Amino acid sequence: MSFTDRQYFSFAVILYGLSVLYSIFLWRRGFREDNKVNYLLLLAAFLFHSAAMFKRGLSLQQCPVNNLYEATTFITWAMALIYLLFGAWPRISFIGAFASPVLFSIGVFALMPALDHHGPKPEFTGGWLSLHVALFALSYGAFGLSAVAGFMYLSQEHDLKMHRIKVVLSRLPPIQRLEVIMVRLVTLGFALLSLALLVSVVWLHSIELSPSPHFDPKLIWAVLVWLMGLALVCLRWVAHQSVRKFAWGTIGLFVFVALTFWGSSLISPTHNSGPRQVNTSEPSPRF
Amino acid sequence: MSLIVVGLSHHSSPVTFREKFAFKDEVIPHVLQKLKDEKLVEEAVILSTCNRVELYASSPGTNVGSACSALKDFLVRHHQYDGPVGDEIYSLSEPESLVHLFKVASGLDSMVLGETEILGQLKKSYETALHGKHTGIRLNKAFQRAFNVAKQIRTETNIQRGSISVGSVAVELAETIFSELNDRHVMVIGAGDTSEKTARALLSRGAKSIIVANRSFDRAASLAEQLGGRAVHFDEWCQEFKNIDIAISSTSAPHYVLDRQRLEPMMKLRNQRPLLLIDIAVPRDIDPDVNYLENVYLYNIDDLHAIADDYLKQRKEEIARCEEIIQSKVATLFPHQGSRPPAENGGLVFGEP
Repeated sequence: MSFTDRQYFSFAVILYGLSVLYSIFLWRRGFREDNKVNYLLLLAAFLFHSAAMFKRGLSLQQCPVNNLYEATTFITWAMALIYLLFGAWPRISFIGAFASPVLFSIGVFALMPALDHHGPKPEFTGGWLSLHVALFALSYGAFGLSAVAGFMYLSQEHDLKMHRIKVVLSRLPPIQRLEVIMVRLVTLGFALLSLALLVSVVWLHSIELSPSPHFDPKLIWAVLVWLMGLALVCLRWVAHQSVRKFAWGTIGLFVFVALTFWGSSLISPTHNSGPRQVNTSEPSPRF
Repeated sequence: MSLIVVGLSHHSSPVTFREKFAFKDEVIPHVLQKLKDEKLVEEAVILSTCNRVELYASSPGTNVGSACSALKDFLVRHHQYDGPVGDEIYSLSEPESLVHLFKVASGLDSMVLGETEILGQLKKSYETALHGKHTGIRLNKAFQRAFNVAKQIRTETNIQRGSISVGSVAVELAETIFSELNDRHVMVIGAGDTSEKTARALLSRGAKSIIVANRSFDRAASLAEQLGGRAVHFDEWCQEFKNIDIAISSTSAPHYVLDRQRLEPMMKLRNQRPLLLIDIAVPRDIDPDVNYLENVYLYNIDDLHAIADDYLKQRKEEIARCEEIIQSKVATLFPHQGSRPPAENGGLVFGEP
């Protein structure tokens, strides 16, 4: 029996949903239970998710990022990947219980049929595009996971301040470790975003697009996200901003990305499939 | 031939009674030999702790009642006890004796529910008997299984999870805040007994250094020496505050020794590092308002007791799960006896003949 890539992704979303249900169970039990089941659920979801992206990529013969569905699934995939790498540590794995609702919500959103619009055959292919997309997706994934860690920090910190006993009884990570995770993920996300923008600039200079992408809304949006990331990193590393404010900052950054990513893509001529003139006299670089 | 238990514990008798039946470690091998010489037992293990004195034995005859009675008489005779003996000394036969042994090994029968010290004491008692060749197939099998059950209960239930002493709760709080305790600096303000125990608990979990401040510098120096730390004069403790991570306060001052006004400028020197304040003094040493400062986490003695009580409640909730494990293990150990259910009173049969 052969499944389509969307069916594979649907299986992944179902597993993300099961992970949400198990997370609710963990939450009801005060996060005292072992989190292995949740990690395995997210791992299984990630495998289906990867299969969906691989299948779509094979059918397109390129990195699958030609519409909002594909871009969204790529970002959630990056987030799940980063979680699975971090989550292998005991206690840190509880981040999965907080990440699964985010993965599930974005996954359900991505499954809306209107997002998977099939336009003309993509004009851009090759290594530059794959790198451009992968770097952006990984940076947004890192921001997403740092927001999850930020939420965990604020929740734990509030419980500690209020002397809620559940905070001591739970097996959630200590707040200082959550702080380290937050800072590292935001720094990683910012570094990847910087690299992604650099790659985009080099790539755009190698091809000539009409209209010019310099004032493309998506590019302006990406620069805005980069500036927000820069502000967060500088405030933390240079001005020693308080951890609580930093946690709110990480949440704010990801909420901004989540709420405006699709809108900025829709109004961007460069990122929307449609008639576009490309001067192909200069071949696009490939890896 | 079956496993029988004869003894007394904190459940059945007060310490004034138990102390009269306690065995010193050095006499236990001789007592075990005496039991065999008098042909009262074929195999025996003696467990003698501050909370219980118990004889685990495998008797040669088939009359369990008379074997229990003989062992009870032996206990009274050996300790030359001439007072009245009633329900204080209990005796159990299989399967209740096995259930009891497994409960003891798992800390379910302990005064501090779920404590692990008893397992070490039980292992030591067993090794003493094993070394003197006072155990055989029956007791070896029962004790090995008891150790396995204790391990299973420890890993599969929450009976031993959490701390029920003030010092251990303080450690747990520190572990909820700090990634590692290895590089944490601790300060003790006021060298009281509880603060000393709390500091010791933190040091045992790897705290890097300790500073002791006390109104009497000699007392501070003495405690610092015992803990491997450094003593400072009482009016200098503020200067050390920027370097420490955990402060335990237990002075006898009638007013706050640390308030928000005093702490706020010190926090600015700490680069947003968290600070755990444990106030175990009555009246309190630390103004509760400092808890409103960012990165400051203040817990007083009532907060610590509340956490300890909750842990105890959690442990009690786990008893049913532990007992299920024990019942299943007893049934598999000697299946032919599985048909007889343990007594409804948890297997404790007081004053059996």
